[in-house]
Amino acid sequence: MNEYAVLSIHGVIILFGLLLLTPFGSSIATIFHSRYESTKTKRGQLIAGMVFVCFGGFTVSAHTLWMHNKLSEGQSVCSGDTILNCDGLIGNLSYNTDPLFSQPWGLIGMVAFTALMWLVLTIGKDPMSPQTPLFIKVGLGATIAGLPIIGLLVSYEIKEGLICPFCTTAHIANVIALVGFFLLFQLNESEDWAPGTKKYFSRK
Amino acid sequence: MSLHQTIGLIDVNGFGKIGENMNSMLHNEEASARSEAGIVAMSMFFAGLLVVAFTSSPIASGTQAGERAPIFSGEAYDGTSWKSFEFDDLLDVSWTWNSTNDAPWIAVEFLDTDCGYCKNSAEEVGVWAQTYSADQWIGPDVIFIAIAVEFVADSSRAEIVEFRTQYSNDFRFVDDLDISIAKEWDVTATPSYFLVQPDGIVAWNSAVDKLGWDAKEDDTFAITSEDRRVELNEAIEVITLRNGGGQ
Repeated sequence: MNEYAVLSIHGVIILFGLLLLTPFGSSIATIFHSRYESTKTKRGQLIAGMVFVCFGGFTVSAHTLWMHNKLSEGQSVCSGDTILNCDGLIGNLSYNTDPLFSQPWGLIGMVAFTALMWLVLTIGKDPMSPQTPLFIKVGLGATIAGLPIIGLLVSYEIKEGLICPFCTTAHIANVIALVGFFLLFQLNESEDWAPGTKKYFSRK
Repeated sequence: MSLHQTIGLIDVNGFGKIGENMNSMLHNEEASARSEAGIVAMSMFFAGLLVVAFTSSPIASGTQAGERAPIFSGEAYDGTSWKSFEFDDLLDVSWTWNSTNDAPWIAVEFLDTDCGYCKNSAEEVGVWAQTYSADQWIGPDVIFIAIAVEFVADSSRAEIVEFRTQYSNDFRFVDDLDISIAKEWDVTATPSYFLVQPDGIVAWNSAVDKLGWDAKEDDTFAITSEDRRVELNEAIEVITLRNGGGQ
């Protein structure tokens, strides 16, 4: 299968998550209403959107790890004469691992999106928990912390004069996750988090 | 009234032990949410890792026998002019130990035009480059590439061209005066030699001279059991003829 056809699958998952985060989310979320009651609420839609974004970010990161391995075997996985070329970046020994732990960037992405997924699922499973605002802030902080890392990777692309579409998709997923956590933060601050109920049980 | 509010009322109104127990249940509920989310997230992570692990078999990059030689590019002098050079253009990733194609092996030499040992061995290397071409011996074709570094004293492209001509080294000399390739190949002394399989796997490194890579067995083997140095020509003969691609 063409690598861009596979990339579009990751892209569709992320795009679907993005749409759930937008005002159109309420009409799109109707397809989940019968199975997931929570998606009838704004909070539920945002969380569902975030689940898709994190899952798409995870799958595209896993795909870049696979590419990293395939390139080490000597195979070409995404090369071309155009500026869009993953092989030149994922296969470049100077740039294809993180400078601290020397781990492939794809693996770093998988770990990051797994952690974000855990935060989103925890918030989704117990939205009334007193820990929820903390989890939202941690998610927001983690995705903001991802921005300088994305900046570093984009600087590699500029240096090499190449763009890795798979890496860029993962970067976009991180930025969308940041927006998602920000929307969750705003909603959590408002009365719309749990309309008609007291938000948290306050302990002594 | 939600469970949280109910427990909250019990706790706030001081029903002592019952409140504490209920509070503990609330903690358990939160812990349960975190655990469930953790199980789902970790399942996703390990499922992803398993798919990657079962569909690829990564080879470490490096310059030890069995590792994938670092790819490099630069400008090389071929006897007429300096032209752009891509190491991976020489590779044939479909090569295997029993391939019947005529993909060439690659002998890589790191040298410094001011290094005495390099000068001493240059003539011999020039002869080997001619000896191990496909039409001169029974083994596979071996392409020689020299990487000219600057470790000892100031060097220049003019010196590289002069060195190549003086010692009749009729193969390409890559300009690595900024020693960027030498760093990637972990070369700190000259001359250093490597023999690379047609698929880009390092078969021999002169720094670990007695060990060669056996592509069929996917393991290293001793080129000699004697207490002496193994030279590049011996490594070429022993390793390429051991599983030289159906030659």
